[in-house]
Amino acid sequence: MTATRVDPELLSELKEYGDGQVETCFNCGNCTAICPFTSAEYPFPRNMIRLVQIGGAEKLKQSIDPWLCYYCGDCSQTCPRGAEPGEVMMSLRRWLTAQYDFTGLAKKFYTSKVWEIGAMVVVGVLVVVIALLLSGPVVTDQVELNTFAPVEIVHVADWIMAGMLVFFIAINVFRMWKYIMVDGMDRKVPFSLYITEAWQIVLHLFTQKRWAQCEEDKEKKNWNWIAHLLMVSGYGLMLVIIIFFLKWFQTDEIYPVWHPQRWLGYYATIVLIFGAGRSIIGRIKKNVQMHRFSHASDWIFPVLLLLVALTGIMMHTTRYLGLPLVTYYTYIIHLAFVAPMLILEVPFGKWAHLYYRPLAIYFEQVRAKAKAMPVAETQLASAD
Amino acid sequence: MSEKPKIAVYTCYCGGNISHTVKCEQVAKLLAEQPDVVVSRTNMSLCSDAGQSQIEEDIRELGVNRVVIGACAPSLHEQTFRKTVIRAGLNPYLYHHIGLREQDSWVHTCDADGATCKAVRLMAAGVAKARLLDPLEPIQLEAEKRALVIGGGVAGLRAALDIADQGLKVVLVEKTPFLGGRMAQLDTVFPTGEEAHILLADLIDKVVNHDKITIFTQTEVTKVSGYVGNYGIQLTQHSRGVSAENAKALQDACQQMVADEFNYGLTERKVIYQPYHGCYPPLPAVDWEHYNGEPININGKSEILKDEIQQFELSAGAVVVATGFDPYVPREGEYGYSELPQVVTLPQLIRHMALNPGAKSLEWQGHKVRDIVLIHCVGSREIEGIDEPQEDGQVNNYCSRVCCTATLHMIEELRENFPKLNIYDLYQDIRTYGRGHEDYYINALDNGTRFVRYHGEEKPKVFAAPKGDTHPVLVHVTDALTYNQELEIPVDLVVLATGMQPRQIDDLVKMLKVSRGNDRFLLEVHPKLRPVETAVNGVILAGTAQGPMNIQESISAASAAAAKVISLLGSGQVELQPFVAAVDPEKCNGTGACVEACEYEDAIALETFVEDGKEVTRAVVTPANCTGCGACVAVCPNRAIDVQGWTLAQYEAMVDAIAMDIVDLVEAG
Repeated sequence: MTATRVDPELLSELKEYGDGQVETCFNCGNCTAICPFTSAEYPFPRNMIRLVQIGGAEKLKQSIDPWLCYYCGDCSQTCPRGAEPGEVMMSLRRWLTAQYDFTGLAKKFYTSKVWEIGAMVVVGVLVVVIALLLSGPVVTDQVELNTFAPVEIVHVADWIMAGMLVFFIAINVFRMWKYIMVDGMDRKVPFSLYITEAWQIVLHLFTQKRWAQCEEDKEKKNWNWIAHLLMVSGYGLMLVIIIFFLKWFQTDEIYPVWHPQRWLGYYATIVLIFGAGRSIIGRIKKNVQMHRFSHASDWIFPVLLLLVALTGIMMHTTRYLGLPLVTYYTYIIHLAFVAPMLILEVPFGKWAHLYYRPLAIYFEQVRAKAKAMPVAETQLASAD
Repeated sequence: MSEKPKIAVYTCYCGGNISHTVKCEQVAKLLAEQPDVVVSRTNMSLCSDAGQSQIEEDIRELGVNRVVIGACAPSLHEQTFRKTVIRAGLNPYLYHHIGLREQDSWVHTCDADGATCKAVRLMAAGVAKARLLDPLEPIQLEAEKRALVIGGGVAGLRAALDIADQGLKVVLVEKTPFLGGRMAQLDTVFPTGEEAHILLADLIDKVVNHDKITIFTQTEVTKVSGYVGNYGIQLTQHSRGVSAENAKALQDACQQMVADEFNYGLTERKVIYQPYHGCYPPLPAVDWEHYNGEPININGKSEILKDEIQQFELSAGAVVVATGFDPYVPREGEYGYSELPQVVTLPQLIRHMALNPGAKSLEWQGHKVRDIVLIHCVGSREIEGIDEPQEDGQVNNYCSRVCCTATLHMIEELRENFPKLNIYDLYQDIRTYGRGHEDYYINALDNGTRFVRYHGEEKPKVFAAPKGDTHPVLVHVTDALTYNQELEIPVDLVVLATGMQPRQIDDLVKMLKVSRGNDRFLLEVHPKLRPVETAVNGVILAGTAQGPMNIQESISAASAAAAKVISLLGSGQVELQPFVAAVDPEKCNGTGACVEACEYEDAIALETFVEDGKEVTRAVVTPANCTGCGACVAVCPNRAIDVQGWTLAQYEAMVDAIAMDIVDLVEAG
């Protein structure tokens, strides 16, 4: 076994990603004892905190553990030293996101508010300029959004954007896979395992069911999980509609209320406002452990979501009220919020947890299966 | 034995400690049937006022003249009951104590019947012995009201001062030319952060100005004879080598340099030296051990310094041994010590810091220290079979106690002076046991010190970094906190928190006949009940000669030692237990076997008398020197010697009683 070289600088580096008090930890292990998810294989959060203390950056990069934590906050409440282990895990998720990202933008956004807000503004302004340049005739007699912003053009822009996102996500996921499944493994994993376990990604992407276990021993329901699940359903719904069904969604024809175009849109908007609003109020009140510390990135994501949903509603309302100009301008503002939320948050920001989390659970399962196999078999598989 | 024995027997419940296992009522009932027993009682707590009053009442009312008590260990309450018996007008040695608690109930908790049976046997043996007891008188000796304190460190100074403050004379002997000992080498001290030399100067000032204290520096004890109250001491003193007139000139002219042990070899000093500014005595002294004998030129004259050794005799009633400790010196190559220039001991770093006050950065041999590692337990808590043994073949398996807090105190100082330093602390367990000591640990955590926990079986390894590394030294350690992963720590300086070792005082130990523990530190009689006395009457321990202690504990121990000396010598009389050998002149015919068997100096000797015109040779005991060990009793062919209070006849009676057939009785009861 080669020795892990300590790196005294990592601790101060991680301080830029969150408010954990890693240095005060005296390694008692109460955090790990109280955590419902900890296991012999993944004795977090203590092992993660220890790696931060000694500066084991390589080992941290190869860790799945931060993605297995849902920040219920029991560890932070139990900690006798106020080391905030839950917040350390949160910081590590941000740090890992920055490590997976090959462009270095994620690191810039997480460690500099100027960079993060600046990038949002630049993308937003860019969208406004492009939208104004490409916009069609302004009809003021009645609301004709598809004349002002032809849905075909917007749809093409959607697809360009989606392509870019897939490109960044693919590379970042590849890097995550390499750190965890290649560098962090003492054996090769047979390819077949990746196929047979792939259903895990879908399951966890749509249910986040692991989170539901966070408070399984407690009487009260896990409202955080339920609220989050609702918000994800609205978000996913909107994403699918915008990428695949924009022509059906962005119409100038007004459908009756029972038409799916109407109520699906209402459902998604309501749960988004509810979810984002709940998160923002929670972070203002700081009444649950999960919301006590808010990094700039924790604000930007729900605030953007809220603004997207609110401008969407506003546009919808003004269209029904027959106010063409207001509708057009609101539409552009709406795009100016949507674009940075997707372009910047998806590959480089908090949004990334949407695919990192289910992937991490998937990798964990594959890893466990691979480790359970006889060594000869895994080597055989790798020799193929 | 003139009067017929009337024996009172008491079986104590000890608040349940005894009665939970031993059926005390049954024991008392059976004992009542023993011959000469006039009363047999039980009591919930015999040592209470009510219990003692009962004994006194029985002596007075029933004419009891022998008392047998079965209770806790005699070391706890034998003296209590001796006083009870005295109050009732009985000779205190007509009472016998049996340790029912330690020897019976506590060790046989699972066997009540067996324990009860054993209690009956032990108590019956006590009754059998009591029947044969004779009244005895304690041995009274004249005591010299002067104490000898060996060692001029903080413990010796404190003990000397406390004894002198009670009006007794004190002779304080220091081997080196200066007072202050190890404490003078410290910078600031925990837990108050005060400067050691200021605290010390205050104490030295009081000692020096005390009219009851005589100080001898450069002096060693070279001979000890006598016994408690009357020790004959020979002191041997080296001369200072310089006088107030020529000291400065000689010191200036002196060219010979030697390693300065005050700074643990970090610096050099002249052979005519003062260890530090403000030391006492202020006059420099010649280091005779290192002086090469070459002439020193002053005022055109060359002078060869000569050591004029003087000897003194004095008598002292008691001796306080405050010889202190030596810091452990790592072996060559132990953690890279003396092989790598970047490896130092904690005492060395303390001196280094003291020599460079106000430094902007920590520098070691001209290089800035960016990363520093401190390793605990160097020369302490060693494990047999893993660590290389010390010179005597033993490993230092004890904890030196002081180093944990000393290390963390150093870390606090490093952090305050050099905020950017990366500090690593390699420990086995953090034992910051004293009041306020834990704060240093908490502060160290809060200020970003990185703690790494190693196991004694897997010591950290220190070696030179390969060329091109960012740091000169690498430390490899298997860290229990990182799930036993091996860590590599690149550092600029390695600090070894060395433990305490007893000083080389073999001659003194032999002269005083005190014992040493397995750890080679001097041994007390009992770690709890008699923590500062040695097995030799009148020889008292103070400070780290006895084991690792911090300054506070050394001072407590010194004050306790002083209290013992004062209570021993204060009256000018020393009282000893009468359990010493006594020769029956009728039976002794001077074989001399006893004299040969005796291990103690001047305890027993053959003397020739003229009786009825005939010369007779008989053994004569000097009670003050006799320990009552019984070696002489065993070898006497004529049964002419007995240890008073524990005679052969008494033993025989006890054995007979223990062997008696009582099982049926117990079962019947």
